[in-house]
Amino acid sequence: MSELVARSPVGRMCRAYPEAWRQPTILLLLAAAALLFPIYHSNDADIDALANAFAFATLALGLNIVVGFAGLLDLGYAAFFAIGAYTYGVLNSFQLHPAWSDSWNFAQTLGLVAQMPGETGGEVVHFTLSFWIALPLAALVSAFFGVLFGFPTLRLRGDYLAIVTLGFGEIVPIIFRNWDSLTNGAAGLNGIAAPRFWGHSFGVDATPYYYVAVALVALLLFVSARLRDSRIGRAWMAIREDEIAAGAMGVNRVHYKLLAFATGAAFAGMTGVFYVAKLQTATPDMFVFNVSIMILVMVVFGGMGSIWGVVVGAMVLQLLQSWWLQDLTGWLNALGNLVGSNWLSHINLVPSIELIFGIILVVMMLYRREGLIPASSAPTGLTFEQQNATVNLAEQDIRLPGIGGTASSGAIALRVKGVTVRFGGLIALNAIDLEVPQGSVVAVIGPNGSGKSTLFNVMTGLVPAGGGSIRFHGDEILGLPDHAILKKGIARTFQNIRLFPTLSIMQNLLIGQHARLRTGALAAVLHPKWSRREEAAAQDWVREILKVFGNRLTPRIDQAVSGLSYANRRRTEIARALASRPKLLLLDEPTAGMNPAETLELAGQIKKLKELGLTVLLIEHKLDVVTTLADTVYVLDHGEVIAKGRPDEVRRDEEVLRAYLGRNTQAALAGGAEVGAHVA
Amino acid sequence: MTVFDLWLQQAINGLSLGAMYALLALGFTLVYGILELINFAHFNIFMIGSFVAMWVLQSFGLSGQSVVLTGLPLVGVLLAALIASMLFAGVLGAAMERYALRPLRGITGPAAMITTIGISYILFNIVVLGIGADSKNFPNPLPPMKWHLGGPDGAVLELRQVLIWAVSIILMGGLWVFVQRSRMGKAMRATAQDPEAARMMGVEVDKVILIAFFLGSALAGAGGMIFGLYYNFTSFIIGFTAGLRAFTAAVLGGIGNVPGAMVGGVLIGLIEAFGGQLIGASWADVIIFSILVLVLVFKPTGLFGRLAPTKS
Amino acid sequence: MITRRAAAQLIAAVAATSALGAGTARAADEKTLHIGINLPLTGADAQSAKRIQQGAELAFDQANAKNEVPGYKFVTQSYDAATATAGQYDPVQAATNARKMVSDKQTVAAIGPQMSGSGKAMTPILSEGDLATITPASTNPDITNPKFAAQYRPGGKPIYFRTVTTDAYQGPEMANYMAHDLHVKTVYILDDSGAYGVGMADAFQKQAEKDGIKVLGRDRLDPKAADYTAVLTKIKQLNPDALYYGGVSQAGVKLAKQSYDIIPKVIKAGGDGMQTPELLTGGGFPAAEGWYATIAAPHMTSDTKAADFMKAYKAKFGDAPEDYSITAYDAGLVIIHAVKQLIAENKPVTRSNVRDAIQNSKTPTIQGEVAFDANGDLTDRTVSIFQVRKDTSKPLDDVEAQFHYIGVAPQA
Repeated sequence: MSELVARSPVGRMCRAYPEAWRQPTILLLLAAAALLFPIYHSNDADIDALANAFAFATLALGLNIVVGFAGLLDLGYAAFFAIGAYTYGVLNSFQLHPAWSDSWNFAQTLGLVAQMPGETGGEVVHFTLSFWIALPLAALVSAFFGVLFGFPTLRLRGDYLAIVTLGFGEIVPIIFRNWDSLTNGAAGLNGIAAPRFWGHSFGVDATPYYYVAVALVALLLFVSARLRDSRIGRAWMAIREDEIAAGAMGVNRVHYKLLAFATGAAFAGMTGVFYVAKLQTATPDMFVFNVSIMILVMVVFGGMGSIWGVVVGAMVLQLLQSWWLQDLTGWLNALGNLVGSNWLSHINLVPSIELIFGIILVVMMLYRREGLIPASSAPTGLTFEQQNATVNLAEQDIRLPGIGGTASSGAIALRVKGVTVRFGGLIALNAIDLEVPQGSVVAVIGPNGSGKSTLFNVMTGLVPAGGGSIRFHGDEILGLPDHAILKKGIARTFQNIRLFPTLSIMQNLLIGQHARLRTGALAAVLHPKWSRREEAAAQDWVREILKVFGNRLTPRIDQAVSGLSYANRRRTEIARALASRPKLLLLDEPTAGMNPAETLELAGQIKKLKELGLTVLLIEHKLDVVTTLADTVYVLDHGEVIAKGRPDEVRRDEEVLRAYLGRNTQAALAGGAEVGAHVA
Repeated sequence: MTVFDLWLQQAINGLSLGAMYALLALGFTLVYGILELINFAHFNIFMIGSFVAMWVLQSFGLSGQSVVLTGLPLVGVLLAALIASMLFAGVLGAAMERYALRPLRGITGPAAMITTIGISYILFNIVVLGIGADSKNFPNPLPPMKWHLGGPDGAVLELRQVLIWAVSIILMGGLWVFVQRSRMGKAMRATAQDPEAARMMGVEVDKVILIAFFLGSALAGAGGMIFGLYYNFTSFIIGFTAGLRAFTAAVLGGIGNVPGAMVGGVLIGLIEAFGGQLIGASWADVIIFSILVLVLVFKPTGLFGRLAPTKS
Repeated sequence: MITRRAAAQLIAAVAATSALGAGTARAADEKTLHIGINLPLTGADAQSAKRIQQGAELAFDQANAKNEVPGYKFVTQSYDAATATAGQYDPVQAATNARKMVSDKQTVAAIGPQMSGSGKAMTPILSEGDLATITPASTNPDITNPKFAAQYRPGGKPIYFRTVTTDAYQGPEMANYMAHDLHVKTVYILDDSGAYGVGMADAFQKQAEKDGIKVLGRDRLDPKAADYTAVLTKIKQLNPDALYYGGVSQAGVKLAKQSYDIIPKVIKAGGDGMQTPELLTGGGFPAAEGWYATIAAPHMTSDTKAADFMKAYKAKFGDAPEDYSITAYDAGLVIIHAVKQLIAENKPVTRSNVRDAIQNSKTPTIQGEVAFDANGDLTDRTVSIFQVRKDTSKPLDDVEAQFHYIGVAPQA
């Protein structure tokens, strides 16, 4: 079908249209259609329905930030919708009427309150907060509660987080229902004033509300898009893809999770104000669990993480309820009257909307998890040329400023003293002492289970220590959170590769620079010149780094890393660590799983990095790599350092041989000499 | 009624509620223990179980509380309804696993949980649209026997409350024996700890999971019948409120822990009864949810649970 | 995979279809008058709502058949004021329906709502749209109370008219009956947290205290919860003579069942929310036995004046009407009479004129002459009391048969 369209004259015209103009033109057409709709279609009820659809689109956009961008499954999102709604409702209806006193005069001059005769004589306060002030106010109030509710969930994973948010989502409407004096309980707030614009009240006409809704959707789409493509959006996606790697790359998870909750809540709060101003009524039943799930269905249906997807998803489902099910019901009823079927002529499809939601959830999860319009993620396919390009590792003139330290060689970059780590009764590290001199490569070797990765984990803040000290260039880093350690200049890779799978190499490496960039949420939205320059410089830096690996990674810079070969993924991980401009690089078995040729290549690249001034601490199993690269070797066994020294010294150390190879020292010595002969 | 009688009566109320929540929590926790999946549909399977029991009883010509049976006919009729509701619910749950959840088994993330939410909605709305939203009078052939503890105005223990406890204990005990002693039970425990290893030891993991769902859902169905007998009514919404309580009970006891679910259920029932006496019914939900949130935040393993699951 | 371009095409196609489909140009027929009927036609109160709807429809069908207003045809348009989420009436849905009625230019008047919670949500919108509605069943007095005019009729003129009286009389007159006729000394009060229920309970409580009945306590039921044993046990311990329930059937049915078990000897009473078939079908016997209920209208279904209506209703709809079917029918008569009046005076049949005509009307109806006071309330303040007494000779779910009419409630 799309083939036919493509080949028709219309299709040819479309393809002839300049590429760069396509997206803006489509946006312009959509905007025009939206703005002109009430003019060429003046049915008030329809305009009202479309305004409702837009309101749910903004709700979906908000939830998309929490669920789609940051990967936090929030099943109680309607709570924020409620908070925003009641903020406006309470401050704009007859519910609260404290006795009048002169202290209210100032508020009256600002237009926030009015004077009204009370029920039992005397004057009382009538709150008349303007709709336009309520919008940002409710956003702030909801954001505050977003942080409040998000806080307990920070350390919870997946399902538990969802359940806690569900709990909050239930508690809020119940509190509103029980807190009679504030909210009039289950009966709800009535007589909420309509917005006023230049002195004219919106009244019951749907058209002014419609335009406010269009503006709101446009604004929130814009904000979402800006956030998504910025450092903030990348931080969220990093958290979604792999929290541990995100922290190791300098993303302050607490900060960004709370930011996601707050931003999503703010969107809902604003929508709450709009929705209730239009309805002029607010009851707790408007915000129950079903509503949270409905918004989730819209996000799932449209495409998690896809801002246009969720807008379309929300509108389709809303219009399904308001228009299409009713129309369909009308047709079925007419058909029933025609054929004389009593059941058909009385059937009403509108209440079946929730059944449809359930079916959509199940069908989408089973058959199309990415949603109607998938979030635009990096492609995973490579062109034929790219796949068959010859590897070119020509020595380019690589200078990587900012990597490595400026301290003179000989100074100690990292000093580990007496560090002990316990997991329950198991002592994983027992009073370890270790020193990494500036500009050197230190290797840590040892049999499996000796505590090597634990050592890395305690150095980078992933695991707490039960005692000891770690000083990096003089600063104590033991006890600091992982993102702070990255900021100090220690970057790492992981034994089992932790990349951000659906993101491209470029995006992965940009996240690596997270701690070095300064664009915050406000700058992300407003996009000032310095932020744009910073982003461009960051992308240039990424390309610089990739040159270390010749043309292995550079042609694939925009491919999703999940599609790369194993060796390339290792390289990408190292590149990502380098992107953070570290002074000390921790590599956890970087050559694991590589064949001898790849191993050699990588060893060479690490050597080059050392020559550029980088200090490297390396966990390795391949003794030949250790011998080539390391200046000093530490040998761990059962959580203790059993040997330390130059590679050739250590290789012959009896303790080491016993630990690795067993009790028969003589045989081991002989074997060791054999290995040495082959490798050298 | 003296103060002592009042508290005794509320304790009886609470324990009866608790037995029902325990039964519901049990089936729920069984599935979670094996799959680490929160099955939202569980509580609407409970609701459907109660409708099935109602229809079976109605088919015997019973209606309302006016017809009372004793002896063998009573036992026969109740047993028939129990078996019917358990079977229907069990098959429903197993079908859900086989066709909607098994395809998603390897997927990380909330896909499976979202699917159970969808199925929950589907079941709920089929009942609302097909049967209607009004409360249905549940046929109850139990003789309205009561025992007065204390004076004639004192606390009252009714036959149906004893019955709930009897059925619940039998079912919970049966499940416990099954899980601890039988081969299939052992297979279930193995799968719960490490599905890969279990598979390598020859355990048919697919079958184990299917049976777990069947059992858990059958328990929910039984709970549905008990609900109907206890309250003499059933309606489309009962899964909602009872479900929330039972869910909290499972979490409180330690999600995945079978005896924990029983203890949790009783605790929640007592909290509801005493809370209703002291504070008022309208705040009961807030209390229950707050417990849920607090437990998950401060002690996610619950009172008796094992270490936090390792699924990421 | 849907690319962005395809998605844009999809949106455009969808928008185009909607623009075509949703707004089929309705041939404006000036001579067709739309009457909006807003009732909770699904959910817990569906059966009562249906009886009310049918009463109203009967009035307009008869008018059309007899060509009562030459040149004009009445078309009723029903709106469901309930949602699946609430399981019963939903004020927000009522507000949405009010907007729909206001935006339909051909709607000149409305009938409904049944529930006062819906009424409170609808009136500000109806007032701004100057669309009058006559409710055959909503009894909360706040809506027509001039003290709350700013809230419920910001447009200024009354638009909420009633063919029933209000809870300002219903609850209190039950209190009077309890005090004088049943000799009740102590009472415990429950409500179902809805607008109607809370209003009923409040009004009852005030009058009970004035009548010298001691109020032992007051609590609230959650209509969605299943178990009320905790609060009923608390009531049992306090040992009141009577229990008064303000609220509708969703909680009421469960209350009836459980209170029968726990406090069988206590006198139980409710308002018109309990005078429903749901109490009989959902509650059943013996739980429903002995419950008192009131309605905010005279009892007419066994009256000779209503005989013709009863016959016509049964013939057309097959089932038996309830008292509020008659008040709905009477509401229809008022509207028809108002339109006739306008035509006789050569005034155009617009919503504003219809509202004025209704305000000033004096219409002969089954319940007598219906006239409205300055606030839109019915000038007649009769409240009727019933008690459920099992009559095995008639169907057990027949409201007519099982609710035994006791008489008019004492007004002081």
